[in-house]
Amino acid sequence: MTHKIECRHIAKVFIQKGKQRVHVLEDISLFVRDNEFLVILGPGQSGKSTLLRIIAGLETPSEGEVLLDGRPVSGPGPDRGLVFQSYMLFPWKTVLGNVELGPRLRGVPREERRRIAQHYIDLVGLRGFEKHYPHQLSGGMKQRVGIARAYANNPQVMLLDEPFGQLDAQTRYFMEKETARIWETEKRTVLFVTNNIDEAIFLGDRIVTLKGKLPGRMDRVWEVDLPRPREHTDMEFLKLRHTITECCELTL
Amino acid sequence: MAEMEEGIQRLGRQDRAIANEVQKSVRERRPLTLRRVITNEYVLHVVSAAAFLTLWHEVAASGVFKGGLCTPWEVVVRFRGLLTDTLAGLTLWGHIAASAQRIAIGFVLASAVAIPLGLFMALNPYVNALVKPVFDIFKPMPPIAWVSIAILWFGVGEESKIFIIIIGTFVPCLLNAYNGIRLIDPELYDVVKVLGGNRWNEILQVSFPASFPAIFAGLQISLSLAWTCVLAAELVASRSGLGFIIVQGMKFTDAALVIGGMVMIALVAWLSSLLIAGLEKLLCPWRRDIRDL
Repeated sequence: MTHKIECRHIAKVFIQKGKQRVHVLEDISLFVRDNEFLVILGPGQSGKSTLLRIIAGLETPSEGEVLLDGRPVSGPGPDRGLVFQSYMLFPWKTVLGNVELGPRLRGVPREERRRIAQHYIDLVGLRGFEKHYPHQLSGGMKQRVGIARAYANNPQVMLLDEPFGQLDAQTRYFMEKETARIWETEKRTVLFVTNNIDEAIFLGDRIVTLKGKLPGRMDRVWEVDLPRPREHTDMEFLKLRHTITECCELTL
Repeated sequence: MAEMEEGIQRLGRQDRAIANEVQKSVRERRPLTLRRVITNEYVLHVVSAAAFLTLWHEVAASGVFKGGLCTPWEVVVRFRGLLTDTLAGLTLWGHIAASAQRIAIGFVLASAVAIPLGLFMALNPYVNALVKPVFDIFKPMPPIAWVSIAILWFGVGEESKIFIIIIGTFVPCLLNAYNGIRLIDPELYDVVKVLGGNRWNEILQVSFPASFPAIFAGLQISLSLAWTCVLAAELVASRSGLGFIIVQGMKFTDAALVIGGMVMIALVAWLSSLLIAGLEKLLCPWRRDIRDL
């Protein structure tokens, strides 16, 4: 059986200032099952964002390859949606304009893409804000737009790059719940990058931990066998949190 | 405006529904006290303007500058007369129109070439490599330096004045369009790439709209430079325009004419910059009210 996404021995070396070689990733091999929520957990500077950009096709790996449904990936495409850490909304477009961008680029007729966009705006809970510009929204609402925009392009795989890194603790906790709700409503294969262990356990079916300090290397894979919806204060939750913390270096 | 307020109110109602994501400040009504009146921004504006006019009037009336300075009121009277009387065959309106027409032609021609060229240079490294060396030679030359050569080439007619305006406005127009694109966050292009867009989509969806505010900033700078240029050209040789009014005033030691000309230029230049600002508001609706929120 082929997995939805498979990374085979990925390594990435950046060339800095002409000749200095920086090893960012080394020998990353992982797979994501269909409709699985996989979290990549690692401290800052472990190359996890680079890994996500490679899977998105925005960077080419120095070694190894990424397979989507068994076929090698050779660049970005609408089959993978990306949610950015710094939102990356277009300030000159309204919420609706941002969300309908994907269908618009694919040439979906106006009425149809409005319908699609409205569906996902409703899904992320932004009904009534269609005509607002991004600067009129709070951080959490901006990222809702980011998620709706990625969803509206109907990707097979959702890639989220520390999407809640810029939010305050309460909003972050709230957005994690929302992410779980949205994913349960419209299942997709999800690859979620974070440096927050609570976020990882709350959301993930499985967690891949990376070793800190460059180059980023695979550490372990954890099955999170907790029923949903999860609670941060659940005994099992805390036990797993303790185990993972004991095993991994999650700080720099 | 009412629509906007309604939007803000709706924002207020909605964000209670989505937990603690937005905090809104509430504007309170404070009692009217003397302290509030004299510290009011607009009251202070009026005080400042009145003080300046009084000082001007007193200095002029004292006769320190002899015929070189007249009172503000004399300027008003002189120019009220010019609304109907003619100076060198034109009323005040005619002279304003003459200057404005030169500005309009030169400004439109320059920006129509400079903005696309600046965008091209920023988007295509080959165009940049070709144009930049020549552009860098001309960039630091003050536009006024071109007055003499313009008269040698085009004589003292309209062409030389328009030419100088084009020279003066070209550089800031091009530089701002160029920088507007250069300073775009590259991740914004990634958005289009990931959604399945091509290079053309990137240019249309990101490069152009993102550079709009910078282009308008360039237009504003260009416009004020254009007024400097047209004035310089008119001071040297012309039979019409606001610069001509000033020169006439100087020739006949008519201080009211000189000062009035200066005031008129400031006024018209200010009005024309409002026009550009209005155009920007129209074309960049996302920039509206950013300050308020």
